[in-house]
This record gives sequence, C-alpha cells and structure tokens, in this order.
Amino acid sequence: MIAIVNYGSGNIRAIANIYERLTLPHKIVSQPGELIGSEKIILPGVGAFDETISLLSHSGFRTVLDNEVLINKTPVLGICVGMQILGEQSEEGSLPGLGWIKGTVRKIDTNRIQSKPKIPHLGWNSIKALKANGMFNDVDEEQGFYFMHSFYFECNDENDVMSSTFYGTDFASAVNHQNIYGVQFHPEKSHENGITLLKNFAAI
Amino acid sequence: MLRSRITPCLLVHKNGLVKTVGFKDPKYVGDPINAVKIFNEKQVDELIVLDIDASVQGRGPDFELIRKLALECRMPLCYGGGVTTVEEAKKIISLGAEKVAISSAAIKNFELLSEIGKAVGIQSVVVVLDIKKTGFLGSYEIYIHNGKKATGIKVKDFVPRLAKIGIGELVINSIDGDGTMRGYDFSLVDMVRDLTEFPITILGGAGSLEDIKSAIKRYKIIGAAAGSLFVFRGKYRAVLINYPNILEKKELYR
Amino acid sequence: MSKNPQSLKVNDLKNSVRSYQVCTNCVMDTTDAKIVFDENGMCDHCKDFYDNVLPNWQTDEKGKAILNKVVEKIKAEGKGKDFDCILGMSGGVDSSYLLHLAVKELGLRPLVFHVDGGWNSELAVHNIQVLVEKLGLDLYTEVINWEEMKDFQLAFFKSGVPHIDIPQDHAFIATLYNFADKYKIKYILNGGNISTECVRNPMDWLYYGTDMAQIRDITERFGTVKMETYPFSPILRHKFYLRYLKGVQVVKPLNYMPYIKDKAAKLLADDYNWKPYPQKHFESRFTKFYEGYWLPERFGFDTRKVQYSSLILTNQLSREEALEKLKKPSFNQATINDEFNYVASKLGITPETLKEYFSMEKKFYFDYNNQVSIFKAGAKLLKYLGLERSIKR
Repeated sequence: MIAIVNYGSGNIRAIANIYERLTLPHKIVSQPGELIGSEKIILPGVGAFDETISLLSHSGFRTVLDNEVLINKTPVLGICVGMQILGEQSEEGSLPGLGWIKGTVRKIDTNRIQSKPKIPHLGWNSIKALKANGMFNDVDEEQGFYFMHSFYFECNDENDVMSSTFYGTDFASAVNHQNIYGVQFHPEKSHENGITLLKNFAAI
Repeated sequence: MLRSRITPCLLVHKNGLVKTVGFKDPKYVGDPINAVKIFNEKQVDELIVLDIDASVQGRGPDFELIRKLALECRMPLCYGGGVTTVEEAKKIISLGAEKVAISSAAIKNFELLSEIGKAVGIQSVVVVLDIKKTGFLGSYEIYIHNGKKATGIKVKDFVPRLAKIGIGELVINSIDGDGTMRGYDFSLVDMVRDLTEFPITILGGAGSLEDIKSAIKRYKIIGAAAGSLFVFRGKYRAVLINYPNILEKKELYR
Repeated sequence: MSKNPQSLKVNDLKNSVRSYQVCTNCVMDTTDAKIVFDENGMCDHCKDFYDNVLPNWQTDEKGKAILNKVVEKIKAEGKGKDFDCILGMSGGVDSSYLLHLAVKELGLRPLVFHVDGGWNSELAVHNIQVLVEKLGLDLYTEVINWEEMKDFQLAFFKSGVPHIDIPQDHAFIATLYNFADKYKIKYILNGGNISTECVRNPMDWLYYGTDMAQIRDITERFGTVKMETYPFSPILRHKFYLRYLKGVQVVKPLNYMPYIKDKAAKLLADDYNWKPYPQKHFESRFTKFYEGYWLPERFGFDTRKVQYSSLILTNQLSREEALEKLKKPSFNQATINDEFNYVASKLGITPETLKEYFSMEKKFYFDYNNQVSIFKAGAKLLKYLGLERSIKR
C-alpha cells in the first residue's frame, strides 16, 4: 500500500489518480495513525518552504513520519516542495526542514542564466540519471519532466544526487539517500515519464 | 535542455468550449472535458483553460469543472476566470490545477497577486493581460472583461510592477491577434520581454506551426500558446483537435 | 385463453427460457433471442446471407462496372464545384479506407464530413487528421451541442433500454442528411459494407436509430432540456423524401470490390500513419464503453459476435479463432474502472448513479412507443424493390 500524505499541500489527487490507473494499491492518508505500516510514502508539496513545513508540523504527521522513514526505513518520495523540505534548511524561509537528506535549498542564481526567462525555472527539461536505483528505468531522459520552481536542492554529499538537470548550471533535479527519495519536478504532471517514475517508485 | 512550452488555450463560455475572433463571435467547439482528455492523450506540454464568462458576470470560478478537468490532465493545468480572492486561488490549486490565472483582479487589486503567491507559491501565479493597440501612436493598452473595457493602463507601465513582485508567468494575450491566425505580434512581445525576467507565454494570432517555430527561433525559450491553431483545420474552420507530435515538436525546437 | 404477443417477446428477452445454442457456421447464438436454427444447426443470419446476399454481391468485374458508372456520373455532375460528393468520416477503418479509395482509386473529390458527438477519442481525431492532410482535402465538421446530447443520452440511460447509442447514432445520420439537403449535395459516400457487416445487429440489441416515435417518447419521459439545436431526421424523410424526391443518393463503393478489413487497415497504417482500433466502433469513447462493456455486461449482448460472424461469412476469420477471441471479455479489465468513471463524469453524474442505471430493470424498444411496424414494412418494401438485401430483425 502506497500512502499519499494529505497534510494540505500538493496535488494529491493527481498522484492518486495515476496509481488508480496503474491499479496499484494506494490510499490518501489524512490521519497520522493511518500511515503506520504502509509500504511506501509519498510526500507532495507546493507553495513556500516555511508554509509547507509548518503545515506538515501542525498536521501531526511529523513523529509518525520520522518513525516510519528513519527507523522502519519505509521508502519515501518527496515531490517538488515535498522534496525541498527533505533538506535541512532553505534560503526561502527560516524554519528548519526535515533534515533527512543533508543539504540546503537555494534560490536559482539568475546571474548564471544567460538569456530570459530566468526565474522561475518553468517547463519541460531533460534529466540525467546518476544513480542505478531503478527510479529512472524506462524514463526518456531527453524528454524529461515538467519543472516549476525558483529554489533547488543543493546536496552536501554529491552521492545523494539522483539526477541532474541543466538550468544555467547543473542542479539536483532528484535526490536519494538510502530509502529517501525526492524529485524537484512534477511526475504527476509529466505524462508517460511521470507515470513510469511513480510506477518505478512503487516497485522499489 | 529546457524547451519552449507549446500550449493550447481553451475558452469556456456557457459551459461549452468556444473560439473567438478579436474576442468576439464565439464559435462552439465542443465540450471541455473530452477536449481536455484528447489534449492529454496528445501529450501537450501544458494547458490553459479560461472561463470568459466569470468576470463579466461577476461570479467566481466553476470549481466542479476545474475538478473534472484536472482529473483528466497528466500535464500542468492553468485555470483562469473569476478569481478574485486568495481562498478561490487556494481552492483551485487544491482541486488539482498547477497554476491560477489572474486577469481583471490583478488590475483592480494589485496586492492580490502577492497574497495569492504567499498562499500557493508565487510560481503558481499567472497573470493574463488582454492587450490592444490603441491611439494614433499605437501604444499597447490593457483591457478587461473580454476586451470590452479599456483600463487606460499602458502595458509598459504595468509590466514593471509585475517584474518588481516577481510572478510565475505572464500571458500576453493579443486582442487584435485573437482568432486571426495571422501570426504573433512580436513587437508587443519584444517590449514586454525587455521589461521582465519571468517566463512569458504569448497568445493570440498563431495560425501555423511555422508561427510557433518563428517565436521559438526569436526568443529561444518562450511559451507559445494558441487557440484556433490547435482546434481548427482548413478553410471551413473544421473543429478537429490537433497538436504537434514528438517528431514535429523536435522540428520546432531546431 | 389468448396469448399476448408482446408478453411473449418480453419472456424471450427477460427470462430466457431457451437452452443455449450457438450456430454451427458462425458464432451467433441464443443471446440473440429470435435466432432460428435449421436441422444442421445453422442460424438464420447465415441462411439469409447465403440465400439473399451472397448471390447478389458482385465484387468482380461486374461490380466494378456498376461502380464505375456511378463514379462517372458523380464526376460529371460535380464538374466546376468545390467537391463532387460528401463522405461521412468517423476515423474508423471503413470510412477511412473508403476515403482513400474514393480519392486515390476512384478519382473523386469528396468533402470530408465529420460529426463530433462529444466522445471522439484521440485515435479518431488523429486518423481523420492524417487522412485529410495527406490527401489534401477539405474537412467540414458539425459539433453537436453537448448539453443537449448529454441530456438526450441520459434520457436513454434512464429508460433502461439497450440502444442508448441512439442519441449519437441519430445525430450522425441526421447531420449528414441535413447538410446534403441544405447544400444540394446529391451523392453521399458511405462506408457501409457487406464484407464486414453482413450479419446485422438484432433489433432487440440495437434498435433503429431513426424511430422518432421512440425518441419522442423517451425524451418526453426522461429528458430535462429542450432540444434546440440537436439535429433530427425522421426515417421517412431521409429514406424516402430525400432519396426519391430530392434525388440524394447514398453510394456504398466497398460493396463493389473485394474489401478485406485487415488489408485495408494495413494499407492505411503504412500509407497514412493511421492507427488501428482494438475493436470496430471504438473510435467513439462512448461506443467503446457501450459496446465493450454496457451491452455485454448489462444485457448479455456481445456485438463482437455479430462482427466476427460477418467476417466468418466473408472468409476473413475462422470460426475457431472467433470463438477463442470471444472467451476474452470485450473490455479491458485494467482500465474499465477508469472508463466507467470517465463516462459518469462526462455525463455529469456520479459513478454511483451510473451503477444504478446499470442494474435497473431492463427495458426494450417495445416497452416504449415505436414505429416498428413501419420500419418492418419499409424494410420489406426495400427488399422487394431489391434495394436492400438482408433484413434487420
């Protein structure tokens, strides 16, 4: 059972919809207790960093999540801001992140981008898979995914970078540390590639 | 590499989809849900849906329609029409749209943009400006309420204000170009682009894939949106949803 | 005590007391309640085909000569006009192949006409586009107002009858005839053909789409909006008035030559990048749901039996192969849930309401006003005049 955490942020319906079509068992989880014992966890998120992490904290999911992810080693996938909050802190806000993956969320440096538009990074961009963990199996890397963000995840340990994408410079478009996964792009809105990635995560 | 976005734009009028010319004479082109499903199957980059009745009638967004459309979209959906409050914008995002388009409300209440940005993330805030060339010197002016109401605000004065707060995307909608299929108004785009660093999407006038190609060639990264082009075919303006396939798209990016 | 013939029919369909039997020649069986078998176990569909259709079906030089004569006439009368005939295009294999044939082989200049009933699949619009583009033809479309179509379809769902495809079917026929009438077009090319359609759907399964008495009765009872733009065309109008008084002629070229479905599909795929459908009529999402799921699951009517039997009779499919294919359900189990929800969403009802329609009491055409006697008389007349070979029953 894949649990999609409903703490008031992110496009939960779209993710559930894809698993529905794939006929993979999943549920939208709104009560922390329901999370216990799930095989996979998806942590969506849109909006600002502080707003998102406070929503998560106030939802009561924090303790259960920490337990499931850090102790039981349940695979978790953070999407967009759901990925950014996996880090320790963000230049966008002042609150600390979950700190599950060592790194800082930084604002895209517009000085590095040669031509307009500069920010946000918006549209379909390619990815380069850097880890053979199965997440990008059958993904068309050139076609890539849909991005929509102004901040990006900077990993302390470059081994945690799961894929890189070029926007002015190469940045981590996906991260992975042990059972913790995060993608900056929107798999739930990236047609076939997105479906493939969500299917791959389910199979991990 | 980041690629330009090629974006169909659909207009909702009296529960159905329509296509206008110069913001007038809406021609019925069918039901939104099936059209969106076909566009989804054609793997469009993203989709813009604008309810052109809401602001004119002074009513809010049709949430049930948004929910249904978002359900069919495995690509980003931008919804606009009648959004005047933060709560409405939040609801639209929670129903599964990625972006909220604000048009007349941005003119009437500029602060709204930042407020919505705080609530849903600034990258989800899209401003749509309906623009018409006016006066002897042909300066660009912003119109609201389906091009019926002139605001007296010049594009060159308004866009810097947007640049200051930073929005997710700006849709430049040319009233003069709408439905004509005669090509985009590049002088308008040039002017706006000079004033901004955020992504721009151009709408109004695209009549062929060549028009899109020339926009991409000129701006490298741009959002090229079109209504008629992706809905009509041939001299009888037959309604037939179409969109370049992967190979045709590669050709456009060259 | 005299028996009421109507209740007899009802018994046939609703309580099916008959023991199961399948034709020894094709795959039609007793799910067609009025099927009759001879002493060798061959059904009346086969008999009708061998007795009436086959002897008159000319796909050789003779057929070619007949067709050529018509084609020459069409060309001569169309000289100087933008187009010389009109072709109703669904994007399915028959109409797509016919379009190729008309342009490439027969040298005709058709106006391609498409009616959008609101359920087009991506495959359908893709196929129409590639053909029209490659052949350099003009396309004309009519989009049926969805609010009216939706209400009309819902009325049929609520009525409980099997033939809920009538709102769509009727619009396709009526729009084409109305257009031909309005613009004084004399020739309508039609992809209808003996080769893949010689066995007809029994009347209990798919009732006549142009019976206005039935349509009126059902919409009056269950409809909620006024049909202001929906195109109607009573059968008498287009089969007799337009044909015999206005001289509008329907031409079915596929009947005058060998027409092999698989070959046609291959040619279309190779030459036009046309995409095949998993099953006949699946170019419409509604028909796919209706023929693939609703009819077989709610009524036990599997239209594949009719389609396969046609192909068996015209030697394009073996009976064994057909029986094997029929073992699999006609819908995709992995996606049916999704499809079901989409149909409900599109119709503006909840999946629960659609489920209620699915399990409600079954009704048939004779439960509502109808003109079946007129249709039967008309069919007999057409057959007598030699204009139609097989009878729908």
